[in-house]
Parts: sequence; C-alpha cells; structure tokens
Amino acid sequence: MPLWMHEAQLLLRSRWAAAALALLAILSAAAVAAGMAEIARQRGAIAAIAPAQAEDIAAVRAFVDRSKDGGQAAYYSFHPTWDAPSPLAFAAIGMRDVAPYILRVRALGIEAQIYDGDTFNPELALPGRFDFAFVLVFLAPLFTIALFHDLRSGECEAGRARMLEAMPGAGRLWWRRAMVRFVAITAALTIPFLAGAIWSGVAIGAIILIVVVAALYLLFWIGLAGLVSSRGRGSTANAATLAALWLVLVLIIPTLANVVINRTNPVDEGAQIALAQRENVHRAWEIPREETMRRFYANHRRWSDAPPLTEAFHYKWYLAFHQNGDESVAARVRAYRAGLERRAAAANALGWVLPSVGVQALLTRLAGTDLTAQLAYQDRIRAFHRRLRAFYYDYVFYDRPFGASDFDKAPRYRATG
Amino acid sequence: MSYGSHRVLDGLSIAVPAGSITALLGGNGAGKSTTLSLLLGFVRPNDGRVTVCGVDPGVEPDHARGRTAYLPENVALYDHLTAVENASYLLALSGNRPSRAAILDAFAAAGLQERAWDARLSGFSKGMRQKVAIAVAWLREVPVLLLDEPTSGLDPQATADFNALLHAIRVRNTAVLMVTHDLLSAVDVADRIGFLERGRIVEEVAATGTERFDIRALRARFGERARAA
Repeated sequence: MPLWMHEAQLLLRSRWAAAALALLAILSAAAVAAGMAEIARQRGAIAAIAPAQAEDIAAVRAFVDRSKDGGQAAYYSFHPTWDAPSPLAFAAIGMRDVAPYILRVRALGIEAQIYDGDTFNPELALPGRFDFAFVLVFLAPLFTIALFHDLRSGECEAGRARMLEAMPGAGRLWWRRAMVRFVAITAALTIPFLAGAIWSGVAIGAIILIVVVAALYLLFWIGLAGLVSSRGRGSTANAATLAALWLVLVLIIPTLANVVINRTNPVDEGAQIALAQRENVHRAWEIPREETMRRFYANHRRWSDAPPLTEAFHYKWYLAFHQNGDESVAARVRAYRAGLERRAAAANALGWVLPSVGVQALLTRLAGTDLTAQLAYQDRIRAFHRRLRAFYYDYVFYDRPFGASDFDKAPRYRATG
Repeated sequence: MSYGSHRVLDGLSIAVPAGSITALLGGNGAGKSTTLSLLLGFVRPNDGRVTVCGVDPGVEPDHARGRTAYLPENVALYDHLTAVENASYLLALSGNRPSRAAILDAFAAAGLQERAWDARLSGFSKGMRQKVAIAVAWLREVPVLLLDEPTSGLDPQATADFNALLHAIRVRNTAVLMVTHDLLSAVDVADRIGFLERGRIVEEVAATGTERFDIRALRARFGERARAA
C-alpha cells in the first residue's frame, strides 16, 4: 500500500476527522441542493411569466382593438423583463435573493419602476443564502482549522512525534500528511459542487476555475494553520489562535470594511430616487401642460413636430411628463450607480488582500450574481424600455390608430435586452 | 554537547560494536536522552564526532535514520489502527513494504499474542505496544537499535520477554544501545555497561564468563547511584 494510502487510512479511521469530513461533505451537498432548489424556483417563476403574460396581454389586446388608442395600450399593458440565472448561479446566489430578477414594466416612467423594488430584505441581506459560496467562505476554514491545527502538535502530545521523526524521510511526513488532508477536505467540499455543476450544465472551464479557487482558499487557511503551528505551542493554543483569526478575517474585518466603504461612498437609497421621480411626475399635474411639452420636445426633437395639445386629456402629455420625471432624476440615478460601483470596486480591491472577500466576489462574478450583473440587468430593462417608449410614442404623439395588429408589433423583451 | 551554558555531555566516548548490546546507565540529567538525540540527528554536537555506521546523523539524518531503529520509553502508536496497520504504516514510513505474513511472523517472534494482531491498539498494555514496535524494528533489519528506558513500567514477565527478544536481535548482528536506569535489566542483557554521570562515562564494565556480570559487586559499587537515579 502506498504511503499516501496509509495516511488516508490514518485520517479516515480517526473518528473525529472522518466525522468532520463527512459533515463538511453533507453541508456542501446541502448548500448545493439548496442553491439548486432556489435557482430552480427562480427559473420556474421566469417560465411562468409567458403563460400569465399571454393571458394578460390577450385581455388588453381585445380592449385596445376596440379603443384604437395607443395611449391606453401603453398605459394598460405590462411587459415582463427577467434576468435568467446563469448555470453557475446555484453556487453563489449573491444579489439574486435581494434584488428583483423579474420586473414588469410599462411605457411610463422607468426609474420609479426600477427602484420601487430596491429595498433590501435585511433578514436575507445580512447572512446571505446558504449556498456553496457560504460553505466555502465561512465554514470550510473552520473544518480546515479542525484538521490542521494539531497536525504536528497532536503527535507531540500523543508522544509519537519523536518516534515518527526518528524515521528516515521524517521531513516529508508532515508534507505528505498535510497533502492527504488537503485533498480530503477539498474533495469533501467540491465533490457535491462538481455534481451540482455538471447537473446544471456549467462550462468545464468555470468548474475547473471554481475548484482551483476553492483549493487556493483552503491552502491559504492551511498555510495560516502551518504558520500558527510553527510557533510550537500546544494544539489547544493553536486551535484558539486560528479560531480567533477566522473570526477576524472572515467576520470582523469584512464587516468593518463594509461599514467603512459604505460611509466613505455615500449613496441615495433606490427608494428615494423612486420617490423623487414620482414627486416630479405628480408635480406635472400642477404646472401648465405646454411647459411640460416644451421641456419634453427640447430633449426629444424626434417627436417635436407632433400636433399640439387640445383642451382634452391626451396620453402624449401624460407620457411626456413621465419621461420628464425620469430625466429629472437622471443625475441622481447616475450618482447612485457610480456610488454603488465605487463601493463594489472598493470591496473588490479589499478582496486582493482579504481572501474571504476576494473569493466571495470572484464566485458571484463568475456566477453572474453580483452588483455588475444586477446593473447590467437594469441596463437591459432601460434599453427595452427605450424601444417600448419609441414604439408607443410613434402612435400616441401622431394620433395614429392603434389596433390589435399594431399591438402585436410591440417590442418583446429578450433576455439579452 | 551543551544547551546554552549548560554542558550536558562532556567528553563522552562510546562505540557500540555490531552484534552487541551496550547499556548506558545513569540518573536523571546524566545525558542519556541527549546521547540518543545525537545519534538520531535531532541535535548536533558542539564539538566532537557522532557516526552511525559511518554516517554523521547531524549532516545526513535520513541516511543515519535509515540504519537505525528507535524505541522511545513510551511507545505511543495509533490507537485507532490495528497492530498490523500500525506496523504496516511505520514500516512504510521507513520505506519497507513487508507482506502481511512477514508482519505476523515478526509479531509471533516478538511474542505478541495472535488475538492482538488485528485488534486496535486502544486496549494494548505498554508491553504489547513495545512488542509491536520491536516487531517493526525486527522487520526493518537495521544494523542499529536504540532503546530509551525499554523496560520501564514493564512487569517482570514482560521484561523477561523483552530481554529475550533483545538477545534474538543481537544474534542478527545488530548493534544495540539502550539507555536505562534499570540495573537488573541491563545486567540481564548487556554485554557492556557504561555508567553515565554528568555527561561522561565514569566507569565501564564488560560481561565476562558464564556469569556475565557480578551483580553483587555492581550493586555494591553502583547501587547507591542507581537508587538515587
């Protein structure tokens, strides 16, 4: 039997070590299963959009065909948008549990529609989901500490170290033993992930990258355990020191850094932007309609030759003041987005020196569940909304009759925008 | 050999020929364990020379350890492995891959009861653990065996069994060095006995004739010292 198999036998026959590895494998499997269940639920919700939308739009279509009013079609029809999860999303759910992944929009003011849902559920935002990223970043270090804190000190305390070190090749013993434990803990952690990833159709390159990242993260903790153990203290002291380091590196510093990053990069809350947009929209009822239209045409020359308003209510005015409302908060939207991006950039920079933060950021990036992905979804919504507005404005501003066949030509959201 | 300003070994000169057993007797702090540490390459001498089969263990520890088997005072093995698994692991560590049959033969030669061969070590006595370790040394067929207080804590029968094993190992042309403060055990197995005090051998006696050592005379000369140890 090769030596590494002896070492594996030694490890797996130890009840504590075997229990720790089994528990890690169970937690990893549970996290992968929970992540896959959540993503399946989100996919199910996205899949349910089409039949519900067909039913909804059929009713609006019948109504519109009678009224022939494009304004009413624009007002009453909701258009679904969605952010389909990537195959890897199950591993790092990231912002998908706190930010909307389905948004039904109308051709009215878009910013309020986007930011209405921009309220974080603190119960979910604080601990995050129980997914593979959570197990890797937060729990796997504890198992690494459990398996490595007494690699040599345990042998000293058991009285075996002197006899083992009197063997030829004793210097390689600890490396070999550490390697076997590293492989065991990496396998316990990543085999459930591999199963989930293959089942979900994740690209092989991404799978390899995640496994390499997980292995490197574990190696960081193994190195730390080796550094602490090299001070020659007892197993209990090693374990206590490593547990304290875990607390500092995984919980305390990231939390404090988050507070500092948020304080140094203040941003509006999304709901405040939605409120400001709504206030600007509603103010339009109090000001002369011509003023609203003048402002709108100044920014949108394409429709400036539209027939003037009469005394009667007209949807072109209604849609114009909605768009004016969007434009009135455009600077705040840009500032909000820039602030969020600055925060994300600062967190990513921290990830270069703090592996727990770096690994989490990398996993959510690869999984397409980070802030960048969320902002990209908002960009796709806005791009779709621009097409939607342009489509309806061409009818509404020129009083072109709008029938069922026109309704069928309305833009449809595609996942790519 | 000094630790800081404390001189542990002072002009110690000792050679253990092949096929002989040398016992170093001495009390606590006499330098017995340091002598073994030097031979195992755990520490290097400040001056002087140490060789194991012509190899300096301080310079080439792996080569020296490849020629040496070492039994500590308390043979601590892996309680969650069986005797065969422990032996197999320790032998693999030293680069040996004997068959299970060879391991069982060695256990039998060491006097380990058959029912213990595939039992976990958690219920083993000190003597049984020592038999596992001596079986490992036997199978390694190394030219040098170093023993640290080998009979400490053993009952009289286990001591007699162990001494019988040492005789068998000596016959294989192995050089055996045991450090102990057990005069009776040393007298029973050793060909030479060196009395170590404050890091130097103060007297050395060799076995002669069928009686080997005059125990009464040794007791008279060194009993006081041995009791003090």
